[in-house]
Amino acid sequence: MQDFRNRLVIATVILGIAFLGLVSRLWFLQVLKADEFEAFSRDNRIRIERVPASRGRILDRYGRELVVNRPSFDVYVLPEDVDDMPALSVNLSRVLNEDPAKIVQKIKQASRRNRFKPALVAQDINRDQLAYIEARRSSLPGLTIEVNNLRQYPHGVMGASFLGYIGKVSEAELLANPELSSNGLVGKTGVEKTWEQSLRGKDGFTQKVTDALGREVKSNLFQKDLVNRQSVPGNDVVMSVDIDLQKAAEDALGEEFGAIIAVNVRNGEVLALASKPSFDPADFVKGIDSKTWSKLMNDKDFPLVSRATQGLYAPGSVFKMVPAAAAMKEGAIHPDTLVHCPGYYRLGSHVYRCWKRGGHGWMNMREAIVQSCDVYFYKLADKLGIDRISRYMNFFGFGSPTGIGIEERAGVAPSREWKLEKFKKPWYKGETIVSAIGQGYVSVTPLQIVMMTAAIANGGTLLTPNLVIKEVAFSGETRLNNVPPKGELPVDKVTLALIRDAMTGVVNGPGGTGHGARLENVTVAGKTGTAQVVSLDSQSSDKAHKDHAWFTSFAPAETPEIAVTVLIEHGGKGGAVAAPIAKKIIETYFQLKKERKANDNV
Amino acid sequence: MIMFDRRLLQSFGWSLFLMTLAFAALSLMNLYSASYQTGLGYFKKQAMWVCIGIFAMIVVSFLNNKLIKQYALYIYGFSLLLLLFVLVFGKEVSGSRSWITIGSFATIQPSELAKIPIILAIARFYDNDYEGVPYGLLDLIKPVLLTALPLTLVMLQPDLGTALTMVLISGSMILFMGVEKKLIFLVLAVVIGFSYPAWRFFLKPYQKDRIKTFLEPSKDPLDSGYNAIQSQIAVGSGGFMGKGFMSGSQTQLRFIPAQQTDFAFSVLAEEWGFLGGFMALLLYFMIILWILDTASRAKDKFSVLTCFGIAAMYFWHVVVNVGMVIGLLPIAGVPLMLLSYGGSSSLTALIGIGVVLGIRMRKFPIQGPAVELR
Repeated sequence: MQDFRNRLVIATVILGIAFLGLVSRLWFLQVLKADEFEAFSRDNRIRIERVPASRGRILDRYGRELVVNRPSFDVYVLPEDVDDMPALSVNLSRVLNEDPAKIVQKIKQASRRNRFKPALVAQDINRDQLAYIEARRSSLPGLTIEVNNLRQYPHGVMGASFLGYIGKVSEAELLANPELSSNGLVGKTGVEKTWEQSLRGKDGFTQKVTDALGREVKSNLFQKDLVNRQSVPGNDVVMSVDIDLQKAAEDALGEEFGAIIAVNVRNGEVLALASKPSFDPADFVKGIDSKTWSKLMNDKDFPLVSRATQGLYAPGSVFKMVPAAAAMKEGAIHPDTLVHCPGYYRLGSHVYRCWKRGGHGWMNMREAIVQSCDVYFYKLADKLGIDRISRYMNFFGFGSPTGIGIEERAGVAPSREWKLEKFKKPWYKGETIVSAIGQGYVSVTPLQIVMMTAAIANGGTLLTPNLVIKEVAFSGETRLNNVPPKGELPVDKVTLALIRDAMTGVVNGPGGTGHGARLENVTVAGKTGTAQVVSLDSQSSDKAHKDHAWFTSFAPAETPEIAVTVLIEHGGKGGAVAAPIAKKIIETYFQLKKERKANDNV
Repeated sequence: MIMFDRRLLQSFGWSLFLMTLAFAALSLMNLYSASYQTGLGYFKKQAMWVCIGIFAMIVVSFLNNKLIKQYALYIYGFSLLLLLFVLVFGKEVSGSRSWITIGSFATIQPSELAKIPIILAIARFYDNDYEGVPYGLLDLIKPVLLTALPLTLVMLQPDLGTALTMVLISGSMILFMGVEKKLIFLVLAVVIGFSYPAWRFFLKPYQKDRIKTFLEPSKDPLDSGYNAIQSQIAVGSGGFMGKGFMSGSQTQLRFIPAQQTDFAFSVLAEEWGFLGGFMALLLYFMIILWILDTASRAKDKFSVLTCFGIAAMYFWHVVVNVGMVIGLLPIAGVPLMLLSYGGSSSLTALIGIGVVLGIRMRKFPIQGPAVELR
């Protein structure tokens, strides 16, 4: 038995070593790595649920609602809690007008991913449906109704071109901004996109304890380590736009394609910005379906492109103020110098025609603007040269974005360098001639024209158009949105005064081309333009061959407040088509102003 | 007829008995925490089994070990019959035929119960055969056969966790009795030589997965690595002091699979921390030490070897089970004696203690009957 005793000693030693091994591993896990495993354990059981912040509203300058939220009652089914699937689906199909098989399929599909996560069965049900379901809630276990926010547009399609639309967050947006929720909606264009940061607010979250199967656990045991964060609603964005004027502008456009922009000439606030054709932002609120989307994308009329800020057009004669200002400032021509217009201008072997076949006769600068004499500007351009014209185009803001904030295009203010880079060809003199009357390579957006007009009207300050006056946080805290002007035009006051006077003559003087904009009580100043079609591909319908009709204006001529630019695609003569529309807008503006003043006094 | 001697009571192993009772209480408490949310069915069944087990332990401890030695091979034979029976009539649970249903309420697992008969049979063999010289290959045919018979039946169920512990227990006993050195090398060579074909042809894919997962659990955190990871999270997050009784989040939220049975120790370690885990291990250590001590005091070879076998049974169950729970060993379905839920396992553990208690009581030669019980 003695040898057994020795072996038992060896066995005891082995026992001791084994237990030391187990204990040291236990020490390693429970003492050295305890914090790490505690973190794992926390991640195991705590599920974070996002509490989406309600998106801020978009208001007009007087606080009237342009875009708001409305509750959407969404029906969810928690697969785990359903005990009678056929009854549930039949009941739901009756109220939702949907095939019961389809409902079952929706629930089954979701339950395959997670039985304990509610499956969305119907979105945005109406009041009757809600009442029906609520009344039968107790007999339909597993059914829940959640209230979510949806964008709503009290004025329908009005303003869609600048309000923009929202859509599902894309992969790229998620990468750029990790704060976004992967299944949330985000501004895709317009104000919704540019002011996304402010509108969105900050999502909150609640933490929930879940068991190994992902079921929420209502035990008090682990509630103490849960953290909640309230969501912060997005800011309301108060736009400079006046709904009434906006409506007038959209009505005035009617069925025409084109744009109308009205701005305050003193601070650049955009009062109305209409663009047609447009789209219905309501199509996007629940995430657009692919059919509607591809229809919008493939529409040859480009309803998603805002004519006002993204449409590029030859400005035609509305552009003539630029070479006029340049010529006077540069001393290329004296305003009183008379130029004879025989109806054409010869440069080398090429003949450039005036729009008036018979010619205007002797013209000074004022008359040349009033009657929109082309020959006067051909000659002036010849003397100025493209370098100086191009410099002044830049001064007036052409060839670069205005900085309005929403999507816009820069257009082209052509120069020698530009042409060399773009076409690898030198500049020809003839191209200078046509540039002066806003043809050739010159291409602008209606927004740029209205800002040019505002700069002339306000005495030479090129403003940054301002769409948003302020943001109002949920707390009431207000942040004004000041946009600094782009700068002063290097043109003296006398020159601008002369141009303004000429523009007054366009509307009110003898021989003026813009009589269509004349108003009784307010002196309107303006400039007509009829631009040959260069941009936006023309099909060979009759309409497509017609020129674009321009009219840009400000009023009152003596103490300008508002600038209005009208562009009608293929509208024909600016004086005949666009000027009367501008007149309506200006008339409405002053009418509204009078009414407001009257109301204030009451 | 049971002979009763007053000295039997005097030399009763109270400390082992009390340690065992302490474990029974600990196991019920642990099980209560692990299962009270899903109803106390497990708890009540286990409580019943523990009572039956303690009763059996006491009864067995009062049986004369000479009687046990005498009937060892019959017990062994009966155990083989049970194993055959389960293969034919057993209830299939998740792919294994390991359980026999008794009445409507209880199931027993003959493979678990077969461990002590194997120990007794091997002890019985050596009691007759041992002459103090190391055993050669041919000398080992009998004890190996005594293991191989039940082992084969168990592997057919299949119940590989139990088969593994059977090999470890009888292997320990055979080694304890001494084998020629060259035989050890031969066995090692054969094991290494056969491990590749075994891996290739014998192991089922899920078993291969377990081994692969053990080597790198994070590779498959959702399927085969899930148990290992969740168990270690539970143990590790318990920290030094533990999360408190019925407050272990991994346990209460059921992140640990089989937490009543194979992973009972992770429940204990999560809720009672390092302190609790260490105390439990210490208790096991002392129990096994006590059994080895009993072996060293026993007067005959059968008793020495029986005690050693039961010590080995405890040892391997603790090492394999705890090693698996704390991520030192691959996941094998081996319950933790005295702590895991399970009637057969508890019964085996307690009967084993009973056998040791009986041997301890009779460390003094008993001279004639003092009291005769009818």
